Amino acid sequence: MQTHASIQARPPLSRRARTLWLAGLALVMAAIFSVDTTTHYEVAAAVFYTLVVLIAARVLRGRALLWLAVWCIGLSVFSFALTPHGDLHAGLINLAISITAIIMVAWLVIKMEAARDAAHAAQAQLLRLARVKRLDGLTTAIAHEVNQPLAAIVTSGHACQRWLGQDPPKLAKAELALNRILADAARASQIVTRVRSLSRGEPVQAVAFDFNAAVMEVLALSTDELERHGIELALELAGNLPRAFADPVQIGQVIGNLLLNAIEAMADKPDKAHVLRVGSILKEDTMILTVADSGAGIPAEIQAHLFDAFWTTKADGIGVGLSISRTMIEANGGQIWAESAPNGGAVFSISVPVEPRP
Amino acid sequence: MSEHPAPLVHLVDDDASVRAALEDLMASVGLSARVFASVAEFLAEPLPDAPGCLVLDVRMPGQSGMEFQRQMHALGIHLPVIFITGHGDIAMGVAAMKQGAIEFLTKPFRDQELLDAVWNGIELDRKRRAEAAALADLRSRWDSLNPGEQSVARGVVQGLLNKQIAAELDLSEITIKVRRSHVMRKMQAKSLAELVRMMEALPSAV
Repeated sequence: MQTHASIQARPPLSRRARTLWLAGLALVMAAIFSVDTTTHYEVAAAVFYTLVVLIAARVLRGRALLWLAVWCIGLSVFSFALTPHGDLHAGLINLAISITAIIMVAWLVIKMEAARDAAHAAQAQLLRLARVKRLDGLTTAIAHEVNQPLAAIVTSGHACQRWLGQDPPKLAKAELALNRILADAARASQIVTRVRSLSRGEPVQAVAFDFNAAVMEVLALSTDELERHGIELALELAGNLPRAFADPVQIGQVIGNLLLNAIEAMADKPDKAHVLRVGSILKEDTMILTVADSGAGIPAEIQAHLFDAFWTTKADGIGVGLSISRTMIEANGGQIWAESAPNGGAVFSISVPVEPRP
Repeated sequence: MSEHPAPLVHLVDDDASVRAALEDLMASVGLSARVFASVAEFLAEPLPDAPGCLVLDVRMPGQSGMEFQRQMHALGIHLPVIFITGHGDIAMGVAAMKQGAIEFLTKPFRDQELLDAVWNGIELDRKRRAEAAALADLRSRWDSLNPGEQSVARGVVQGLLNKQIAAELDLSEITIKVRRSHVMRKMQAKSLAELVRMMEALPSAV
C-alpha cells in the first residue's frame, strides 16, 4: 500500500460532500452573476468566475470542467446583455478580459490535471516495476538456493546407480551416496521452510487498535485511485466497535491489498457506474471487514485457486497478493474468504480478533 | 614425468554437497578428482603433472568461474574447462563457449553429459600435453647443439650444399661435414627430410 503514500493524498470526498461543493459553487456563480448584472457595465465581476473554475477543479475533471467554463462565459455575456447602464465601451473591454481569463484558467487547470495524472501513472508504474523486480531477485535467489542441493541429489543418485551397477555392487559406497542424498533432501526442505517463514514476513506484533480508524487510514491512501476510476465509495462501518487485537501494519497491508484488487476489478469494466462498499461488523469475538466491488465477480472455476500462490488472472499480476494476505491474516488469528455478490462483483472478507477483556 | 600419469579431474564449486557428489560420481567411474571450494583454493596448490580437465561453477563467492577462465592462460593453466551453473542462460553459455569452454551444463545435469565432457576434456589435454612434451624435447635437442652446429643446421635446411655452407661460414668443407653429422646425431634425425620437419616445428630456430 505504499504505492500511493508518496503521492499527496486528498481526504476522501463522498458523494454528499461533492454535491455540497457543487451547490456552493453554484451559489458563488449566482452571486457573481447578480453583482455583475446589477452594477455598471464597467464593473468586471465576471473575472471572479476564474475562482469558480479553480475551485471546481477539486470536484470536476476534464470535460465537466470545460462545460463549467463555457457556462461561466455564457453567464458573463448574459449578465452583460442584462446590465442597463454604465460605460458600454469599458464594459466591452472588461467582458473580453473576463472571458479570456476564464478560458486561460480553465485551460491551465485542465493541463495541470493531465500532467498530474501522467505523473501519477508514471509513479504507480515505477513502484509496480520495483515490486516485480524485487520479487524477481528473490525468486532467483530462492531458485539458486534450492537448486544446489537438488543438483547434489541428482549427481549423488547417479553415482549411487553406478556403484550398484558394478560387478560386484559396491554397497558401502552406494550407501554413502544414499546418506548424502538424504542429507541434501533435508537441506532443501530446510530452505523451503526458511522461504516460507520469509514470506510470512515480520513476526506478528499484536496490539490493541481502533479497527475503523485503521480502515479509514488505508482508504485515504486509495482515494486517488478511486477518484481516477470514478468509483463511488460506500462506507458501512459499525459504530462502537471494541478495539481489535492484531498487528495493525499487517492488517493494513491486507486491507490495502483487498482495496487495490477491488479497484482493479472495477477499473477493468470502465463503462459501468461502480461502487466500492467497505463495511465492518462485530460478530461474537471477531471483527469482520467486507470489501465488496461491482466488478466481474469470481467465476466458479477460479474460486478454488483464489488464495493459491503464483496463481493470477491479471495480465501483469504475479499472483502472490491474496496468498500473502491469507498467510498474514492467519498469522494474526483471523481468516480471509471470498464470495460472489448476488448482483455481480466480489465480496472479500477478513476477520480479526477483538481485544481480549481483562 | 611418468610415461602415462592417471588423469585427474579438478572440481571447483562453492557448495560442499555438490562437491562431494561430483567427487563420488567421478570415483564411481574410476576417475580421481581434486575438489576445491574456490578458485583461490585451487590456485593455492601446485597443479599435479597429469592430464585432466577443470569443472568450474560459474557463480562462486570470490572470483567467478567465467572471470577465472579468462585469466587461466596468462597463469599458464591450459586445462580444458567445463562449466556447471545453477542459473545458466543461453547468453552466458554462448559467452563461455566463445571463451573456449568445452561444455556448459545447467544443474542438475545428467551424469553421462558431464562424464562425456570430462573424458573429452581429458583426451584433449592428453593430446595437448603430448604435443607440448614433444616440442620441449625437440627444443632441448636443439639447445644441445653448439652455435657452430646450429648455423650449419640452418644452412642445411635452407637446401644449401656443404660447399656453399663452407663458403658462407668461411670454413673448410670437412668441418661442415663433421658438424653436419653431429647435428643429425644430436637431433636424432634419420634423414634430411626429418631434420627439416623438426626445424619447422621450432620457429625460433630458423
